[in-house]
Amino acid sequence: MSKKLLSGLSGILVALIIGAIVMLGQGYNPIATYGALFKYSWGGLYPLATMLKNSVPLVLTGLSASVAFASGPVNLGQPGQFLIGALFATVGGLYLDLPPVLMVPALLLLSMLGGALWSGVAALLRRLFNMDEFITTLMLNMIADFFTYWAISYPLFDRTAFSPMTPAINRAGWMPVIGQFNTSVLVMVIAFVVILFVFNRWTAGYEWRLTGQNSIFARIGGIDINKNYVTVMLVTGALAGLAGGLVLMAGPHRFLKGLGANYAWDGVMIAVVANNGLIATLLYGLFFSTLQTGALGMELITAVPSEFIQVLQAVTVLVIVAGRETIDIIVDRSVRRRKVRERTA
Amino acid sequence: MDNLIEMRDIVKVFPPHVVALDRVTVSFKPGEIHSIVGENGAGKSTLMKVLYGLEHRDAGEIIYRGQPVAFRNPGEAIEAGIGMVHQEILLINEYKVWENVVLGQEPVNWFGKIDENRARQQVQQKIEEFQFNLNPDAVVDEISIAARQKVEILKLLYRNVSVLIMDEPTAVLTPQEIPQLFNELRRLRDNGHTILFISHHLEEVLELSDRITVMRRGKLIDTVPAAETNKAELARMMVGRDVLFTSHREERKAGEPVLDIRGLTLADANQQPRLQDIELQVRSGEIVGVAGVEGNGQFELVNTIMGLTRPTSGQILVAGEDLTGADILTRRRKIAFVPQDRGRMGASVSASITENAMMTHHRLNGRFTEWKGLLLNFRKARQYTDELVERFSVSLGSQAQPFKSLSGGNQQKLILGRELMLDSPFVLLDQPTRGLDVGSIEYVHSQILKMRENGRAVLLFSADLEELLRLADRIVVMFRGRMVADLPVETTNVEEIGYLMLEGKHRNYEQEAS
Repeated sequence: MSKKLLSGLSGILVALIIGAIVMLGQGYNPIATYGALFKYSWGGLYPLATMLKNSVPLVLTGLSASVAFASGPVNLGQPGQFLIGALFATVGGLYLDLPPVLMVPALLLLSMLGGALWSGVAALLRRLFNMDEFITTLMLNMIADFFTYWAISYPLFDRTAFSPMTPAINRAGWMPVIGQFNTSVLVMVIAFVVILFVFNRWTAGYEWRLTGQNSIFARIGGIDINKNYVTVMLVTGALAGLAGGLVLMAGPHRFLKGLGANYAWDGVMIAVVANNGLIATLLYGLFFSTLQTGALGMELITAVPSEFIQVLQAVTVLVIVAGRETIDIIVDRSVRRRKVRERTA
Repeated sequence: MDNLIEMRDIVKVFPPHVVALDRVTVSFKPGEIHSIVGENGAGKSTLMKVLYGLEHRDAGEIIYRGQPVAFRNPGEAIEAGIGMVHQEILLINEYKVWENVVLGQEPVNWFGKIDENRARQQVQQKIEEFQFNLNPDAVVDEISIAARQKVEILKLLYRNVSVLIMDEPTAVLTPQEIPQLFNELRRLRDNGHTILFISHHLEEVLELSDRITVMRRGKLIDTVPAAETNKAELARMMVGRDVLFTSHREERKAGEPVLDIRGLTLADANQQPRLQDIELQVRSGEIVGVAGVEGNGQFELVNTIMGLTRPTSGQILVAGEDLTGADILTRRRKIAFVPQDRGRMGASVSASITENAMMTHHRLNGRFTEWKGLLLNFRKARQYTDELVERFSVSLGSQAQPFKSLSGGNQQKLILGRELMLDSPFVLLDQPTRGLDVGSIEYVHSQILKMRENGRAVLLFSADLEELLRLADRIVVMFRGRMVADLPVETTNVEEIGYLMLEGKHRNYEQEAS
């Protein structure tokens, strides 16, 4: 754990230094830029609250990808599951009329159901026709994209709007805001704790992990790997769907074009950077949210364009992923040298 | 004569703690067949890979034709005249023989087009030069394994290689094909080629080689002329002590049948029979050994018993329960299983030792599950693992370390312990001592005999006939998917079993005499 933390922190540091060099090359002041970046994401209650709220879709889709990858299924359908989850919450939000205490949980459940339904289609295709989820989930992303676009352009279209979007959902379905803090963050924390507990303490989580590491060993050990495959697909689909529901209910309160932004792909990227570790996914999710949230402030105060953040994200990914391998190689090499010295002395 | 190759003080380490080669010094002369023998993991393949540039040495030097060399990759080694034929055959099945041979070094004419006639002719010439009895126009897919191996050798000869490294070439051949290979290798030697031959079959090595180098656990023990040694001496050098094949079993009456296989038949996707009408009973307190040349249905039989494959017909009963169509978990209530491939079927190498020890127990033995099996109690799981480690004397640093940090012997002890602690009436052991050092082999053997004492029914698959004769009460022989013999161990011997393994029937002396 401490080794992972060290390699993560040093990776981020190196990425920030590379970013600073790029900025110097362009004639910007890196200290002022990073100052603005962190001021607008951590410097005060409102920036912090915004950063946390922005981290919700990153962390939840990241968790979805991490749990899936660590358990075996290559679920790359988070973008589609996110959109279908958001659509389910929208439909519920438009047609249900419940008091907030019931409305919010109901919509959250609906969004999870939507995501699970969408990943369930891929799981079903795998079980029935042995189609690889790697490809079906990617294809289902396209379908979800166009299907939701159609849904908000025609059946759910807000007649008073000028671009494809639905009317606002029932006010009872909005995520409550406490002070500066949106309660979507609270839901994310609960989901994280539950998943962490299931993954590390439940018999099911043990089976998922061992299946992800070596499925033939798991199978011969008596684990029903087909059943677990379906469960993992449904759970990770539900997580991505929940992300969609929360973004909708915390933010625009209506499904508008481009709602999914790039959250889910960022989440997959976070899972890769985190090497499918759940705690690492949470931490990197917060870090990427820091960059994305701070980018606006950075653009406001300095002349550095917010696109620079994409450069910084890419550099971070490369440095951390490459660094992880490098550290192993360096450790191996030093062990080898020591053994050789013992032999030849 | 001067040495062609000298390898001096070669060290190779595989982190974290395998020293594969420990200051190995050996020399090879031009025009000799030099065998390198040793048990699995002795370092013989690694030594050759270091020479060939597939692995890089961590210390030491290699002198080739008087010059120090360090090949960075096999291409450089081939360029310099050293080639290796691997165990797995690496040819393009859809291509013809000559196309495979010239691949990568095709003669071309003016427009960079392959000059097919010249290429074919050159290959034909090589085939004739070495009397290889190959058709250059045959498609690789349609020729035998032995012929494919020849194509591999031809590929190297085409590149004018003078040193040929052969990595256990006989492992993939049938007994009839081996003498032919040996003749070809001798002819190559007489032509001035040097042949480095890796094997662990002592008879073969004694028959073929000029000199023999013995390795044990990464160290070179000795290099001796083949004419001045014998099988017993080589075996002693390989394992480091006199090899005694005495049985120290106590007489014991076997009890009720536990495993009962009736008329088991399995056909593959092409309707080819893989198992035919297998009848096999194993009683409690009895060890039944299964002998056979690899690929005669053992793999299929193990998979069918474990439920990885469904039989076409027949029945499998364990302790009176029909398990023919049962799921794997149901079987695991009755069957303890030690697979032959520890890292693939026996464990998850990156998971912790605790998590590996928990497998199957997490479902069948309620010791560390709570809330009706929903939740795991890791504190209790560690206690259970401590007990396993204690009972089966696994030596380890900490339970939190990954499984792969254990040595081979300790890995096997952990797997064996996990399976025996299931307390199932039937134990299926598939090559339980493969790749283990002598000490661990003895430990595993004593545990197998203990299972017998405790009244379990044991089915033991082993490629090692001495092991079977030492442990089993009865030995059955598999040949082309059938059980061709069921022999009480008191009245059989290696020769009889060996003959049955190769021919599938008893030796008929009368017929041979006439």
